[in-house]
Amino acid sequence: MASTVIGAGITIEGEIATDEDIVVAGTVRGKLTAKDSVTIEHGATVEADVVGGSLVVGGALTGNVTAQERVDLQSGARVIGNVKAARVTIADGAQFKGSVDMDV
Amino acid sequence: MPSNMSSVTVIGRTTRIHGRVTGAVDLEVQGYVEGEIAVGGDVTVDTQGLVGASVRGRNLLVRGAVRGDLVGDESVLLEAGARVVGDVRAPRVAIAPGALLRGYVQTGDVEATTPRASRTQAAARPVVVQPVARAAQPIQRAAAVPVATPARAQPVPVAVAPKPAPKAQVVAASRRPPPPVVPALRSAKGQIAKKKER
Repeated sequence: MASTVIGAGITIEGEIATDEDIVVAGTVRGKLTAKDSVTIEHGATVEADVVGGSLVVGGALTGNVTAQERVDLQSGARVIGNVKAARVTIADGAQFKGSVDMDV
Repeated sequence: MPSNMSSVTVIGRTTRIHGRVTGAVDLEVQGYVEGEIAVGGDVTVDTQGLVGASVRGRNLLVRGAVRGDLVGDESVLLEAGARVVGDVRAPRVAIAPGALLRGYVQTGDVEATTPRASRTQAAARPVVVQPVARAAQPIQRAAAVPVATPARAQPVPVAVAPKPAPKAQVVAASRRPPPPVVPALRSAKGQIAKKKER
């Protein structure tokens, strides 16, 4: 389904850039850039600045987030960092520490 | 469905990674990885895949391009279309027709020792030859220098002392090959050197 999958048990230290969507279930440290959707699954650990079209977070994310369309923090997500997107939703049960910028 | 997706790691065709990729599971590279890959599972570099650094895994299957060493804990398979520039090491190595490889290949777990041995042998030959030219020059210096500066005379004998040993070796070496062989070698070397200069 997704063109790029970082599976659980895989650690990437460095820069990831893709033109398609990406699913992260493992660990990413560095920088993550995607033109399409980015999904950080429950159990994943991302310590990186994330840039993408849209972002869904169910796991742990430390870093600044910029999305063209939307950012959804699901229940169980742990996010530390600033979020910048046109639309941002934070589900009940999500932990979040940082600022939100929705281009008001 | 998410559990199925997360069990396999795929670096998609348009994905570029600059950095290390590590882990204990399988990995499939369809895109571009400029950085070391070291996983405990199997690694597949697909037709579109391109890896610009060393790859280590259990079983390596290469159909794409790799510029770096391939080290497989169990096997390395280079299939048709594979383009590899680097050394290949694994207990089992298979190179299919149509695969391109430039590098050193070793099957088995033992570290590479044969290249080092050949290098030391090659290095030993010039060492025997060089003292002949060096030994001739210091003798002239030693004769002239001690009269003017006695202080320098002390280090000179130290330098002179090792001469007999190399000379003996050279003499022994020159005795082994009959006279016609040595001129033949020297003339051959001179020709090669002249060709290089030109």
